[in-house]
Amino acid sequence: MSYVSLQSITKKFGDVEILKGVDLEIEHHQFTVLLGPSGCGKSTTLRLVAGLEPVSGGKIFIDERDVTDLEPRERDIAMVFQNYALYPTMTVEQNMSFGLKAQNMPASDIRTAVHNAAELLGITPLLARKPGELSGGQQQRVAIGRAIVRQPKLFLFDEPLSNLDAKLRVETRSEILSLHQRLGATTIYVTHDQEEAMTMADKIVIMNQGQIEQQGTPEDVFFRPVSRMVAGFIGSPVMNFFNGVGTANGAIETQVGTFEGFPQIRAGQKVEVGVRPDDLIPAEKGETTITGKVLLSELLGVRAIIHLKTQHGLAFKAVVDHEIYRDMKSADEASFTVRDGRLHVFDSESGKRI
Amino acid sequence: MFSFSSRSARIAAFFAIAVALLIVLFPFVWVFLESIKPASFGGKPDVWLFPPTSDNWNNVLLQSDVPANILNSFVVAFSTVAIALLVGCPAAYAFSRFRGYQGARYSILAAEMMPPAILILPFFLVLYHLQMIDSLAGVIAAHLSFVVPVVTWFLIGFFDEVPRDLENQAMVDGYTRFQAFYKVILPAVRPGIGAAGVFGFVLSWNDLFYALLLTGGESRTLPVAIAGYWTFRGVDMGKMAVAILIAVIPVLILSFFIQKHLVRGIGGGAVKY
Ligand SMILES: Nc1ncnc2c1ncn2[C@@H]1O[C@H](COP(=O)(O)OP(=O)(O)OP(=O)(O)O)[C@@H](O)[C@H]1O
Ligand SMILES: [Mg+2]
Repeated sequence: MSYVSLQSITKKFGDVEILKGVDLEIEHHQFTVLLGPSGCGKSTTLRLVAGLEPVSGGKIFIDERDVTDLEPRERDIAMVFQNYALYPTMTVEQNMSFGLKAQNMPASDIRTAVHNAAELLGITPLLARKPGELSGGQQQRVAIGRAIVRQPKLFLFDEPLSNLDAKLRVETRSEILSLHQRLGATTIYVTHDQEEAMTMADKIVIMNQGQIEQQGTPEDVFFRPVSRMVAGFIGSPVMNFFNGVGTANGAIETQVGTFEGFPQIRAGQKVEVGVRPDDLIPAEKGETTITGKVLLSELLGVRAIIHLKTQHGLAFKAVVDHEIYRDMKSADEASFTVRDGRLHVFDSESGKRI
Repeated sequence: MFSFSSRSARIAAFFAIAVALLIVLFPFVWVFLESIKPASFGGKPDVWLFPPTSDNWNNVLLQSDVPANILNSFVVAFSTVAIALLVGCPAAYAFSRFRGYQGARYSILAAEMMPPAILILPFFLVLYHLQMIDSLAGVIAAHLSFVVPVVTWFLIGFFDEVPRDLENQAMVDGYTRFQAFYKVILPAVRPGIGAAGVFGFVLSWNDLFYALLLTGGESRTLPVAIAGYWTFRGVDMGKMAVAILIAVIPVLILSFFIQKHLVRGIGGGAVKY
């Protein structure tokens, strides 16, 4: 059995089934990110693992122990909440000591542990302050410090960076990562920010409407999305989609052109063809192309996003280098071809990858 | 909103406040004057010039039962508040965290809607059979009937403002829900508890209705004593004025400390939309 194991977990609030059978295996020392649109059940999953809500069905194991019916305090986990949940009446030091006191650790050991953790996070000068006297970033560090000082079996994070500004978010992200590499703590991390997920995760779990849509490495979900939902959710700017129909000889006809080499396609099958803006490369003469009118272009730096519209009125985007951007932004039309092997095809009805 | 930037508006505002203060403070000034008025001028409210005397103060403080009545009032108010907080804190916390029908919290005000005249007879009968008429415990019990709901209502709003994740954090940190409640949540609402306590104290301290009917001799509280200066021979205005001032002073002092929490507390658990 894996280090953490969720087996057929369901959760109902009243009559509404929020989680519809979640199976998840997490290895020791792994950093797992739960990713998905708002309301898909990420926080609920985390709260079930923490024991803050009872499951409606299924079992949860942590380190070979069935914790399904245990209280949060019996599960040996630490959690960092979105709003940090620092105890407002206690100093930083008391905040960090609070969990160790519950374990009846001797006061001198608590002091040592807290000071070591504070040193590691660079918050020693803050130890005597109250949470109200800290900036958002400092509160965040204290919350993380309070979690690591306990050395729990499992770390749970619920969108811990969402209240920070963009720059601090990126900094803290790498800090959490290096902390993870140093401590090797098994972690479940919830976010709806796909960039956070891609950069941090050993394993990404994409949730949708109370179910796991896909789980795998960041490469897996980015390069081989199993469904239209995952393909549209991962990647920025979002993937371009075109409707198409299968032909008898394994080709797909779309309004932007015909794509060949899909023997598994049935004639008349309705599909969606997806291609990432980064996988559209400026076409040479004589290639199969997607052509569009240039509407707008945004320079990001080295790269630029070109917004286009086909002659049938379908909008799509392409990401190009800035030299190409210079020619394209003043051009009327631009033609692209799809990078080899980077075309994704999904069945329109089931949404599944073909 | 309009601004007080123009000179004339400021003068108008000044006068408005002055008039309001005059209206509010006049009774206090008048009662104070009555308390130092010699008996020979008693019953003549329109006399403003007289040689001041300390007779009334001496009499009330040294020769009457009023000091004992003050003590009774303190015992009743303190006990009522202590019990009301002991009951009200967990109750308010439960109402605050309750996820079901949000109108439920208003039910605690139901007792408050009933006119005390309806409750007093059952109270009297029950206490009579328990042989607790004219006992402080009886008054305390009666006061709890309106102080507990008010204190609870008052506290719900303060608990509502403490995020649930705070107790969740404590539970993950190794504590039971009850430990989380008293180690983390209660300290976080301390200002609210203080304000609710003061509010409940004043309610009990000022009560005349229940105390008048449930106490007689030994257990008379201060408001009952004040009323006692109104006899069939007339009102003993000078002594009554002294007792009134003594009754009002703690209320004024306490109100000053909680004023900033008062509005929030009275808004209480009104569900925010
Ligand atoms: N205590 C509750 N009672 C009833 N419904 C709830 C409760 N908690 C969550 N839900 C519902 O469960 C669904 C999933 O909520 P959850 O908080 O897990 O979403 P999430 O994936 O974390 O979303 P977000 O990214 O917005 O945080 C939502 O539709 C929410 O309204
Ligand atoms: Mg959430």
